[in-house]
Amino acid sequence: MKLSAFTSGKWAGWPALGLVATATALAFGGLIGFNRSEFDWSYFSDPYFLAILRFTLLQATLSAALSVVLAWPMALALSYLKDSTHKRAFLSLCVLCFVMPTLIVITGIISLLGRSGSLSPLLGDDWNLYGLSGILIAHIYLNLPFAVRTLYLRLQSIPDASWRLARQLKFTRAQRFRRLEWAAAHSATWLLLGFIFVICFNSFAVVLALGGGPKATTLEVAIYQALKYDFNISEALALAWVQLLIAGSAFLLVSFCGKVSWLSPASAPAQLRPPATRLEQLAYRLLYACGWLFLLAPLLALTPRVIHSGVDMEFWRSLSRPLLITLGLGVVSTVLSISLAYSALRPYRRARMQQSPAALWLDWLTSHSLAVPAMVLSVGLFVLLLPHLDLDHWGIWLVAAINGLITVPFAASQLKPALLNFDSQYHRLSLSLKLTSRERRRIEWSYMAPAIRTAAAFVGMLAMGDVAIYSIFGNQDFVTLPWLIYGYASTYRLDEASLASMVFLGVCGLLIFYLEKQSPRHA
Amino acid sequence: MYNLFHTASVSRVARTLIAVSVATFATSASAAEELTVYTYDSFISEWGPGPALEKNFEAACQCDLKFVALEDGVSILNRLRIEGKNAKADVVLGLDTGLIEETRKEGLVQPHSVAFDALTPVLKWSDKDFVPFDYGYFSFIYDSQKIKQPAQSLQELVNSSASVIYQDPRTSTPGQGMMMWMKSAYGDQAENAWKQLAQHTVTVTKGWWEAYSMFLEGDADYVLSYSTSPAYHQVAEDKSQYKAALFSEGHVMQVEVAAIAANSEKKELANRFLEFLISQEAQEVIPVTNWMLPVRKGVKLPSAFDTLIQPKPIELTPEYIAANRKTWIKEWRSAVAQ
Repeated sequence: MKLSAFTSGKWAGWPALGLVATATALAFGGLIGFNRSEFDWSYFSDPYFLAILRFTLLQATLSAALSVVLAWPMALALSYLKDSTHKRAFLSLCVLCFVMPTLIVITGIISLLGRSGSLSPLLGDDWNLYGLSGILIAHIYLNLPFAVRTLYLRLQSIPDASWRLARQLKFTRAQRFRRLEWAAAHSATWLLLGFIFVICFNSFAVVLALGGGPKATTLEVAIYQALKYDFNISEALALAWVQLLIAGSAFLLVSFCGKVSWLSPASAPAQLRPPATRLEQLAYRLLYACGWLFLLAPLLALTPRVIHSGVDMEFWRSLSRPLLITLGLGVVSTVLSISLAYSALRPYRRARMQQSPAALWLDWLTSHSLAVPAMVLSVGLFVLLLPHLDLDHWGIWLVAAINGLITVPFAASQLKPALLNFDSQYHRLSLSLKLTSRERRRIEWSYMAPAIRTAAAFVGMLAMGDVAIYSIFGNQDFVTLPWLIYGYASTYRLDEASLASMVFLGVCGLLIFYLEKQSPRHA
Repeated sequence: MYNLFHTASVSRVARTLIAVSVATFATSASAAEELTVYTYDSFISEWGPGPALEKNFEAACQCDLKFVALEDGVSILNRLRIEGKNAKADVVLGLDTGLIEETRKEGLVQPHSVAFDALTPVLKWSDKDFVPFDYGYFSFIYDSQKIKQPAQSLQELVNSSASVIYQDPRTSTPGQGMMMWMKSAYGDQAENAWKQLAQHTVTVTKGWWEAYSMFLEGDADYVLSYSTSPAYHQVAEDKSQYKAALFSEGHVMQVEVAAIAANSEKKELANRFLEFLISQEAQEVIPVTNWMLPVRKGVKLPSAFDTLIQPKPIELTPEYIAANRKTWIKEWRSAVAQ
């Protein structure tokens, strides 16, 4: 068989795929089979449950709507501005903001708008960051850049011919918007609303740090609290099921509708776009400036605290261990995630080359865990492993392993386009050249290297920023940097929180710099 | 139960790290018999009673005392439940009266053989499983420079518009104490009282330390703490403006206890440690590090302790608390989540 020459074996990649699926199956086993508790239906009529469900839906809807509505003018402004170094930097910053560990953003927002924040005096005496307002601000900060970039890329894709037509037909600004811009980006708008809704529905760190008590709690935080505050497993499981049903079906619905492309490099702006009027130009520039200010403000707010903080050597020493643990965690999770994704994609690639209908569900199987919120997966595994494993001893390894597992879909989505390209371009060639499998693998690797680097930077950042999985499996012997920052931020040690965030931001900045440097070639 | 910190400049996490490293170093010291104690983090921080107690006890027992730090009292119980048979604890230290019955019922502890002759009669202590090591009364602390006429009852505080910070009853023993206080003052009307209190609650924190440091930063008029907290400010900071409000309904008493873990095989050593905890030597350390009252008769205290309020205790039996705790928590969270 020809294809056996391509892979080292017919079953290559299946163990990885099996592992990814088994982890989910085990988590479900934990969710279903915990015998100490009967499923408590009465919980669903508890006013507390209804209140948190309502709040979870409310904050996710508002976060999604506000992020997308605010992203539109920003994306329009960007699309009218000439290509420049600072505009490219802005678009890179958009990537960084979306993937940045949330605890950095939270610290920045607290130093800006918290009780002793630099902007708080302007907001009056009644201002309180903690609660819905804080959650919304953080969610908008994290998701607006993602929406801006996605919409901008859609706007850039309007062909020159359309613009030419618009010029010839002397479209008004409103017509241009309706016929061209909205037409190009409306499907992306709905998708973005759905995606951001799901992301915010699953939001953990933001709500934990900025929630301010039981008034502003989401399902995800309530799961954590049921397990860690009450050790009420039946309640944690009931909540996890609700979380899974809502977030999972919302995710499936959204991903069924389409795919958001936002990481592709920005192409050159259309030359034939009708020139903006001076007033429009002014508005765009103003919006653009506001965009910069909005994205930079929380990061800049860390600086004065860093400069004026009176921390001593003891602090730096206390930082080094969490930093090393976080980096180690990032490396282990990344290696695991990338190798799993790489191998798990094997059966899919084979099916694609054989034009087998199995390709579709193999692809789905690789990425299915996207629909399972990290908290649900963690709680399921926690309940399952609890009686059999010393979780204290294995906790940190489980954090790394689960992070590796849940980031497989992200790694796969980064690797897939390049792998499929490789297969379509070089597969036949390498067969006809009768290359040995080792030589083929070497060619494949060198072709894949940039995509692997991008995927690694991505996955590494996600794993290092994890709080949800850590909150379930972590312990005090292995404090990670985000958890340390959370500890500082929640006890109002903002100097320490800012310093630790700055260090973390530095690490992430390096990674994203790497990512952006690589992405123009393969995205 | 928690000790106060000099400048409040070290976070819980940092303290925990220090505590953990202290504990780790201690383990490597010798191959002597090891006694593992689960406690809450501030107990073993460098300002807490842990280090001194460890030094004194180890010198006497020729053993190796190993502390494992958890977030606070309620977390210790949760940890024991989560670990079940895998629990490594020989002694659990830092549960309180509100958790005694639940812990006992779940079979997580075993009887001790400590005699209570030297204990203060206030406690009327005779529990066969739990040994008290300090006690205090939950109280709202205020800054007398800011508030000239403090609330004189819990009802007055609930009805007022003064800003309040208290702790989450699911994680923190003061929060749990607040729940009992509200229940005993309001009974069936507690849900409405919680709602009313929620109108002027700044925030509900996970632990005592977060609440207290927010209060010290000036974020609230009242914070839930202990009647003994002002003593810390007088002794360690020479500040006398912080006072505990005396409430006419009486105050819920918290007795902090220790016990031998159910599956510990070092029963004899564990008993020695419990005896040590109520010894004159240990009882002199605890009030000025954990800032609570000693359980032993005739322990000499700094004069600041004489200025503290003398609340009328509210008596709640552990059985009563255990039977109702879950319902109360549900009632609380439903009321405040609205």
